[in-house]
Amino acid sequence: MIDLLHPDHFLRFTATELQVNPTQLSADTEFRNIITWSSLNALLFISRINEETNVLISAADLAACKTIGDIHHLIIQRSNGVSRN
Amino acid sequence: MALAVTKGAQIAGIVSVVPSFTEDNAELSIIPEMERAALISLTGIRYRKIASEETKIGDLFKASIDRLMSHLNWNADSIDVFICVTQSPDKPLPSISCRLHGELGWKPNTLCFDINSGCSGFVYGLFTVNALLAGLNKKNARAILCCGDISSRFTDPSDRAVRPVFSDAASAIGIEMGDDEDEITGYFNLETDGSGKDAIQAGGAKDADMYMRMNGIDIFNYSLKHVPHNVNELLSFAQKEVGFPDLFVFHQANKLINESIRKKISIPVEKVPYSLYDYGNTASATIPLTLGTIWNQHAPKTGWIAVTGFGVGFSMASGLIKFNPKICFPPVEI
Repeated sequence: MIDLLHPDHFLRFTATELQVNPTQLSADTEFRNIITWSSLNALLFISRINEETNVLISAADLAACKTIGDIHHLIIQRSNGVSRN
Repeated sequence: MALAVTKGAQIAGIVSVVPSFTEDNAELSIIPEMERAALISLTGIRYRKIASEETKIGDLFKASIDRLMSHLNWNADSIDVFICVTQSPDKPLPSISCRLHGELGWKPNTLCFDINSGCSGFVYGLFTVNALLAGLNKKNARAILCCGDISSRFTDPSDRAVRPVFSDAASAIGIEMGDDEDEITGYFNLETDGSGKDAIQAGGAKDADMYMRMNGIDIFNYSLKHVPHNVNELLSFAQKEVGFPDLFVFHQANKLINESIRKKISIPVEKVPYSLYDYGNTASATIPLTLGTIWNQHAPKTGWIAVTGFGVGFSMASGLIKFNPKICFPPVEI
């Protein structure tokens, strides 16, 4: 398991999943502007986050996020696991 | 949770039919050429079957029923329960089951109705049939359950989320009461989370809304939130470990979702068959169709399999069923 709660680890993870150079990314990067961002890659990215952290990010959650840092913040908030309620 | 056992009823046979026309996701013009390989890899879907404009779901059901009854050597007078599961009836009324009953010239001794259900429909239908058969005042009562959809009827040809996934097919399942009416032959866990009703929908007031719309991320979320729990709860109810079923046959949503579910439940990959590559997501037909594609290569051990449907609703259902059919054939093109 990768420690995605660590900001640098999350940036590297994001770069790997979106197949871009990590030096191109920062917490302030607007993920929708990343050239490889697509609905397909968004789904893959969400699934990989769930695989590593057990955190589920909905379409509404994603719509409310603008930057990679916003997504990371959401993961930190929810990293206690998945609740069915 | 809605946990239940069913007694006496077992699947006697499964057949499936698919339209002969095939769409290839590797040549799908709405997807940029550079993205097609990634799409096929992520969804697991290469080919999809598409019905002609003239074909109705009743036609596919009728072809599958003819094949099933011929191979099982069942005659029409012996069918006590007939249920059709679909979300794509060609007209709102009368029900497809009543219409087919008339077209097939069956006698009035058959209980008929339709179930409006999609991806969880096979398991909901199987539970319903099993419960009905056990309640009938007849020895060795028989049922036919038809499952399937012509999803292409609701598909926007330009929709890059829906079109590469859905496919047309129908299955007919013959179910029969055994001699021992008290033998437990099925454990079921049937659930719903209606807060997910908008994740897949079709049929609004405007023409454009008639198309099926799907929010892939929300479907992923609902699937991961509920399905592993649904399966684990069923196994716990049946007092079985995850290693017990010979197979876990899941609704074929897409490879990404299904593999994520498999990993959450820690099921070995060899116990989870797929038919996605050749047939795509055929809604309520995916589980019987998948069983047909792999059954002749399968060596039963315990004789029990797990089946799990999930999707539009958000509806989900799992069954742990005793499975030793007389026939279980790969789909044929019509």
